[in-house]
Amino acid sequence: MHLLILLALVSLSLALSAVAAATLWWMLHAWRTPTALRSTGFERGRDEPCRSFSLIVPARHEEAVLGGTLERLATLDHPDYEVLAVVGHDDEGTAAVARDVAARHPARVRVVVDHNWPKNKPKALNTALPECRGDIVGVFDAEDEVDRRLLRQVDTCFARTGAHVVQGGVQLINFRSSWYSLRNCLEYFFWFRSRLHLHALHRFIPLGGNTVFVRTDVLRAADGWDPECLAEDCELGVRLSAYGARIEVAYDAALVTREETPPTLLALFKQRTRWNQGFLQVLRKGEWRRLPTRRQRMLARYTLAMPFLQAFTGVAIPVSIASMLWLKVPASIALLSFLPAVPTVAAIAFEAAGLREFCRLYYVRARWSDYVRLVAGTFLYQVILAAAALRAVGRELVGARGWEKTAHVGAHRAVSVDESDLVPAEVPAA
Amino acid sequence: MSTDVALRDLGLSTDARDEPGVLLGLRPRLRSWLWHHRVSIVSLTPLLAAVTVVAGAGLGRAPAPFDDEGTYVAQAWAVGAHHQLAHYTYWYDHPPLGWIQLAIGEWLLGPLFRSAHAIVVGRELVLVAHVVSAGLLYVLARRLGCRRGFALLAVALFGFSPLVVEWQRMVLLDNIALPWLLAAFVLAATPRRSLWAAAGAGLCLAVSVLTKETFLLLAPAVLWQLVRNSDRKTRSFCVTAFLTTATLCLVAYPLYALLKGELFPGASHVSLLDAVHFQLVGRASSGNVLSSSSVAHRTVMEWFHQDPWFVAMSISATAAAAWVPRLRPVALAMVIQLVMILRPGYLPIGYVVAALPFGALLAAGALDALASRDFGRRVRRPGLRLGLVSSVVIVALVVSIVAPRWERGLHSLNTDVSRSTWAAEQWIATNVPRDSRLIVDDTMWLDLVHDDFDSRESVVWFFKLDTTNNLDPSVMRMFPGGWRDFQYVVVTPSVRQSLADMGGLTPVRDAVANSTPVASFGTGDQYIEIRKIAVAPR
Repeated sequence: MHLLILLALVSLSLALSAVAAATLWWMLHAWRTPTALRSTGFERGRDEPCRSFSLIVPARHEEAVLGGTLERLATLDHPDYEVLAVVGHDDEGTAAVARDVAARHPARVRVVVDHNWPKNKPKALNTALPECRGDIVGVFDAEDEVDRRLLRQVDTCFARTGAHVVQGGVQLINFRSSWYSLRNCLEYFFWFRSRLHLHALHRFIPLGGNTVFVRTDVLRAADGWDPECLAEDCELGVRLSAYGARIEVAYDAALVTREETPPTLLALFKQRTRWNQGFLQVLRKGEWRRLPTRRQRMLARYTLAMPFLQAFTGVAIPVSIASMLWLKVPASIALLSFLPAVPTVAAIAFEAAGLREFCRLYYVRARWSDYVRLVAGTFLYQVILAAAALRAVGRELVGARGWEKTAHVGAHRAVSVDESDLVPAEVPAA
Repeated sequence: MSTDVALRDLGLSTDARDEPGVLLGLRPRLRSWLWHHRVSIVSLTPLLAAVTVVAGAGLGRAPAPFDDEGTYVAQAWAVGAHHQLAHYTYWYDHPPLGWIQLAIGEWLLGPLFRSAHAIVVGRELVLVAHVVSAGLLYVLARRLGCRRGFALLAVALFGFSPLVVEWQRMVLLDNIALPWLLAAFVLAATPRRSLWAAAGAGLCLAVSVLTKETFLLLAPAVLWQLVRNSDRKTRSFCVTAFLTTATLCLVAYPLYALLKGELFPGASHVSLLDAVHFQLVGRASSGNVLSSSSVAHRTVMEWFHQDPWFVAMSISATAAAAWVPRLRPVALAMVIQLVMILRPGYLPIGYVVAALPFGALLAAGALDALASRDFGRRVRRPGLRLGLVSSVVIVALVVSIVAPRWERGLHSLNTDVSRSTWAAEQWIATNVPRDSRLIVDDTMWLDLVHDDFDSRESVVWFFKLDTTNNLDPSVMRMFPGGWRDFQYVVVTPSVRQSLADMGGLTPVRDAVANSTPVASFGTGDQYIEIRKIAVAPR
């Protein structure tokens, strides 16, 4: 009996190590060689624009930020594009802001009213899709800060690679707003800077929610977004991957779309619950089963289940170490229980390196206190992610599939950066 | 489904297609690797074969079996036979990975090596490590920008210097750690500059340190090599990969001690911290190298006499390499070794081992730099090719003066100086009853155990009779009568040397004083005496 428990603990240790090591390796995908890192950016140079774009901006109770976003979107440096602001029929405040901007830029901005009920993001997007006149549909959120040069670079990317989908970088910026915002920003950093490139390489990709560009004909042929999915972005990516769509991912610090972290811990918790539940829905829907190779299907299964694996490992590692010590097993076997801690600790070290890189790219000087916050917040953040994963499972089981909207206050537009933190800017790569 | 049709019209379908991002199969990759490196393979293989023959022929004859060698093969035996880190209490004298590797090597290659003497089997395993080191030295030289001829020269210097051959033959932890250290350097100098390689360098460094703890001192040199070689954009990730891998692997050792409750000192058990304190502070100093009466002086002079040319060449090349940026990290490794040798304090006799490949590499690398076009340009006489001329002159000198000396040195390494040890073992096996108790040194111990003497009751390491040179009291407790509990003491060169160099060891001194010789073997340095202890009635 004792032997059986021992065997179970040993195999648990090995499994946990494997999960943690795989997650770590994928997190570092972009940095595996200098050549690999260079290939993750947009291609150098910009060709003459030759495509037209329709940029959809769904907004709901976001009158505080939508105006600025639309104004900025109306002045991109691409010659041929339109902006479609989608507002709810019951949301007069936001609609007024959108109409205001449309009146100032009649050639660029149009307002589309969404009459669906209950409302969610995929339904808003689907409402706008038939109205799109461009060759390419792009999606942005109401609080996004979009770089003016982005569209021409995306145009060039479509032209040179023949891609069906181009995913640009999205970056949370306000990393000093709260203790968890640092970790949240780094999550985005590793996801868009590195992990998504791995997915593009293996041609299975859960797309991001914005700064995503899809050929309009492909999107229409695929019937747009799944209106009932809580992670419509991921679902679309998985579906298009299954059909073998060619997806390019490009991260360029100068061109990323800047966003803000959720304003409160509760908002973060709800947002994460929604994403996790969305991943779960995509996993259950099973479109990924149509991926052609076994390797892709394994990657899909693993990726979509990742929030739950992550939650599980976060809880299981301390438990496995504690039980080994409690059971008083031989020292060499007890040593094995510490094996999963190795990639976990290494991940924290790499997050510190990532923080350094993040600060370098965004011209902020990293402080000691940032590194301390990073390390000190690790465990609590892990607990919150685990709780969100459990809540997602619970909600999915009882069939609660309502859309818990994240509020936006615009913290990323006034990043609290001291004068002393500013270091001379490099010439943007584009 | 209409979606399927619509997407198919756009060239998108769920049909099977070629797996994306799949590389070539293993076999074509191997073939292209072999083809790409054909010149290196063709030129290095015969050289490595020669290195193997020079180091391997006569390794059972010279050098004479050395105490530490016996210790490590015995502990490797304990790992293999009893699944324990030592047959006496493991007291954290060294990290155990060295003899664990020996045990694994014996398990894997044992059938190939069938010598009757445990130390000779150990030396044959170390020979494998030596040849690997030589091969890695070539790769490192190439990765540091040496031209092929000079890389081969480095291997030749390393393979044929009598100093190297003598020390590389012995079963020392340093010799087992060396290929790992060189591998760490090789990975730190990888041309692809990948994250894997950086993590691998950290792992290899950790293995070398867990084999022989003194290799930790060379970590800064490996780190510098990695930083120098890395790309600006991925540097912080590479350094993180290196440091975390190395640290997390090294932490396993104190963690093991902690889990066994042996990290911190305590009254009733050995501890890692006690052992560290003993190795760093507690051990008798070997004295100042510059004072002619010190043990350190004798050790260093012994190295120097074995091959003055190699020593002089290494030291001058280290100075010269400071002007060649690509050689600086290796030069740092050499400087660290030199500083540790010159500092007062305990100087382990095998300490020279970790300096040897770097000496050879720096000598060849400095010549390569001297013979390069750059050097001619720097002295502004491009027509003269001053550097090339001088390097040719140096090589010619080396060949004409050093080669004959080396030949003599290598020849003397083929004379049999181990005979008396083997003869003494033979005598004991034939003439001593198995229920007798013998005080022996570590060199003979395992062979006598193989000759059916009991590993705990009959044959006992002379060091274990008191705590002059170890912190394990368990053996003393087993023999409360001290020397009076024994019937024989075997006085070997290493017993004599220890009695002369160290204080303490009182039980051994008493045993020698109260005994009479019954057999003796060899002469001079190799003189071995088997003495029967006469216990006076109390």
